[in-house]
Amino acid sequence: MVTHEEIRAIANLAKLQVPDEELDGLTEDMNEIIAFADTIASVQVEDEAYEDVNGLSNVLREDVVQPGLSAEEVLQNARDRDENSFVVKKHA
Amino acid sequence: MSRYELVAGLETHVELATKTKIFCGCSTEFGGEPNTHCCPVCIGLPGTLPVLNRKVVEYAVRAGLVTHCEIAGVSKMDRKNYVYPDLPKAYQISQYDMPLCKNGYIDLSNGRRIRILRIHIEEDAGKLVHSRGNTYVDYNRGGVPLIEIVTEPDFRSPEEAREYLERLQFLMRYIGVSDCRMEEGSMRCDVNISVRPAGSEALGTRAEIKNMNSLSFITKAIAYEYDRQCDLLDSGEEVVQETRRYIESDGTTEGMRGKEDAQDYRYFPEPDLVTIRISKEDVEKIRASLPEDPDARAKRWQESFGISEADSAQLLRYRRVADYFDEAAKGLKNAKAAASCILGQMFRRMETEADKEKFETRVSAENLHALLQLLDEGKVRMNLVKSTLEKMLDSGKPASDFLSAQDLEGVSPEELDRLCTQAVEQNPKAVADYLAGKEKAVKSLVGFVMKSTRGRADAQKAEALLIDKIKAQA
Amino acid sequence: MQSFSIISKIHEGLSQKAYSCKELTQSYLDAIAKENGALNAYTLPTPEKALESARKVDEKLARGETLRPLEGIPLTLKANISTKGIVTDCCSKILSGYTPVYDATVWSILESQNAVLLGKCNMDEFAMGSSCETGCHGPAHNPHDETKVAGGSSGGAASAVAGGVAPYALGSDTGGSIRQPASFCGIVGLKPTYGAVSRYGLIAYASSFDQIGPLALCAEDAARIFDVLAQKDPRDSTSTGKKESALEALKKPLSGRIVGLVPEYFAGLQPDVEKALEEAKRVFESLGCTCKTVSIPEIRYALPVYYILACAEASSNLGRYDGIRYGYKTAHYTGINEMISKTRSEGFGKEVQRRILLGTYVLSAGYYDAYYKKAQLLRRKIQRAFAKAFTQCDFLLAPTVPMTAFPEGFTAQDAVQTYQTDICTVPVNIAGLPAVSVPCGFDADGMPVGMQLIGGSFQEAVLLNAAHQYELAARSQSFRSAGKGVEL
Repeated sequence: MVTHEEIRAIANLAKLQVPDEELDGLTEDMNEIIAFADTIASVQVEDEAYEDVNGLSNVLREDVVQPGLSAEEVLQNARDRDENSFVVKKHA
Repeated sequence: MSRYELVAGLETHVELATKTKIFCGCSTEFGGEPNTHCCPVCIGLPGTLPVLNRKVVEYAVRAGLVTHCEIAGVSKMDRKNYVYPDLPKAYQISQYDMPLCKNGYIDLSNGRRIRILRIHIEEDAGKLVHSRGNTYVDYNRGGVPLIEIVTEPDFRSPEEAREYLERLQFLMRYIGVSDCRMEEGSMRCDVNISVRPAGSEALGTRAEIKNMNSLSFITKAIAYEYDRQCDLLDSGEEVVQETRRYIESDGTTEGMRGKEDAQDYRYFPEPDLVTIRISKEDVEKIRASLPEDPDARAKRWQESFGISEADSAQLLRYRRVADYFDEAAKGLKNAKAAASCILGQMFRRMETEADKEKFETRVSAENLHALLQLLDEGKVRMNLVKSTLEKMLDSGKPASDFLSAQDLEGVSPEELDRLCTQAVEQNPKAVADYLAGKEKAVKSLVGFVMKSTRGRADAQKAEALLIDKIKAQA
Repeated sequence: MQSFSIISKIHEGLSQKAYSCKELTQSYLDAIAKENGALNAYTLPTPEKALESARKVDEKLARGETLRPLEGIPLTLKANISTKGIVTDCCSKILSGYTPVYDATVWSILESQNAVLLGKCNMDEFAMGSSCETGCHGPAHNPHDETKVAGGSSGGAASAVAGGVAPYALGSDTGGSIRQPASFCGIVGLKPTYGAVSRYGLIAYASSFDQIGPLALCAEDAARIFDVLAQKDPRDSTSTGKKESALEALKKPLSGRIVGLVPEYFAGLQPDVEKALEEAKRVFESLGCTCKTVSIPEIRYALPVYYILACAEASSNLGRYDGIRYGYKTAHYTGINEMISKTRSEGFGKEVQRRILLGTYVLSAGYYDAYYKKAQLLRRKIQRAFAKAFTQCDFLLAPTVPMTAFPEGFTAQDAVQTYQTDICTVPVNIAGLPAVSVPCGFDADGMPVGMQLIGGSFQEAVLLNAAHQYELAARSQSFRSAGKGVEL
């Protein structure tokens, strides 16, 4: 069973706020989903060496400079900027 | 002797000197206006994907080989998740449980061996500037390739840590994978420090001092932290496991309160990248491309060239200089002359460490070799070599532009005979002294001959001829 | 020109100058103007962009040049496929107004062919959902019954194609998001082999599952689109391209093929679905195929494995939405941390937050081995079980969804029950295999039923060949086609 405290800790890691009034409902939801995930917890599987899902290896690029974006393009979608920098103001 | 022993380990981040970032084709050039070395990939735009730079893998393997690491046949990238504005994807692509290199070492001059646990590759974060309460974000550094070199807790003194870092810096520069400029942040260090009663094998609780970028800060921080922890234990208190910060102004450290106490990075394999496989043949190819082992090289210079230990260390310090020296000295009887030209006249023209590292000179190794060849053949003397080299350094022209046919011809036997006769005639006192058994007196006569020929005469021949003439006179 | 024309017919119409590309495009734009209010398939029509491409095609035709396979053919793109200069918001408030500065590789390929982009289409927020109801632009509706869901997450794409307002669409399939809405709306949906089509520019949900593919009126169209899109992309390290042309293999006879029937897929089907599948089986037999039972018991782990791994990857992929570089940013806050968590809490919908939390949980210290690692090991087991199955048959026949389209509002009641509807689609994503959903009849209410053909890695040509032959045979056996009378 996942507790309220655990939900809060997880939410903190995920940078999500959980309003007090939603905590009960969310904990219940999570417990239901986790119980569902738990159906594989009891399955015995032998450990294996790591292997890529798609079996590929060594996809590499050469060390050659490619044109990038202009600062204008980099910042185009930002809500707040100051000249060429993204900005997080102290408060808003 | 102190009742406590220092136990410290280092995690060193070294920025790799590739042309492009680790996962995209953006330039790694230092500086520049904010957000001008960026593309959709390194600012983490939704939908973008990383592609690993081949050179990053190669450089990391080089670093591993020069520190005697095992190179992993199979390796992978992982995501280290944490949300902070300097990390545009909210995860850093790094390596968790399958680093490229592991189990290496660096030996110190006191005979102690510092074990290297692992070397892995990862991307650098962007730069945050906090000003007037606002935070300004620049992603030019974001995605620049790093290797992180992690040692076992094998350091027992701040001096050992300093020597290790100097050695590491030297090695990384020597194999050409990083310029390791601490002032530009291309080499930075985290230190784990604990203390334990002398003789004990158990490890004490450790504190970590993060992100230092000066050798003197690092040694001071270790020394301070050692004292602080000893004092704590002496007064019956406990060392708290925490991250601390070095305060430059007073050389102390302080706990970083308020920082996420329990970070949980939720590492998992990076699904956007594939496995890295390095065959034994690949490793051997990279090993073969490494410059000669620096210790073996110094030994070779000392044994076959007669270069002093101090001079060979100086020459080795900068990779370009070492290569230049080898090229200029190759095949010379008097290779020492090449060393003295480089360390003397040429270094005198280079003011900073960075200048010496770049070693930009107008005299090619080939031209220096040609000049010293003349010395070997007895066609010129050392003082003429020096004055000619100055002209070459000024102009970039070869020695042949400055040495006349007369200079190079040396002195004819007739001319030498005439000058020696003259010397004997004009210096009766020296002749008398010599005949009286003061053999050194002949040197002043040699000096007379050399002066008259502006150094072009062969001093040995002149001395023999002079002795003959004195004896004949007697 | 008629709506519900397949691509080869449109290509022919354009090439023979039966109509201009501008006329063609305008007819679709008119249809969108007329129908989209009821369908809500499009979230952002792009008429100017479409007419601009149409003009280029008409100029080319005027010069007497031949058209490439998808040149001048209108389409719609799911709202998670990046298009330079055109808002790509994943139907999430957190990406409101986000305008990419680069193109997804699939769109680069299509745009270089002068494909005509009619607009971006509706989806579940960040492709997390099975009903196309969780997006910030409201639900897409099923053209067969507007009170029913179009399916998800590529519901807008399916609704547009089945509703006659786009000849084809590109969607993405992470756990069934192309095949399930294709099935609900009675069209063809192809989820290619993982790596066949580049993911560059597809806004990630779960990176090791996501794959772009076509939603089309028939298997031939899907083959044509697949052939154009399946190219190795240097920008996507996991991309490999295709093995062979699917279009060239369409006409091969099916006789002698072995069709695998996996009993695990046939449990708990809605009776109408079961009946339709039974008939589909008979059609394949009539084409000379042999049906054979092939058991894959590992499929029972598929759903939890999928939700654990996909949510883990999603929790990481969606960490970047912090309000700093693009998208929504909260109006009031004190300090960086509050700015970020408020932005995220206000910007993400409930289902997305739930999956981020689950993903964070299964990756967190102390739970990693029990969930993530275990799921990863089971994923390999499932992969191997499928590989073994394909040593016994050429392809598998299964339902796409155990049911037909459900009424709108149904999903909101119970998360786990909703996840169960993905039972037939997720195993393919876990194993990275190709699968195509093909309409195979209707239920008693006239809602379409879809069957799924599943192949081994890079066997798209085998699947689309089978699907095409099935379509031809089924039509001659009083099969009622999708939409309103597609002429094959």
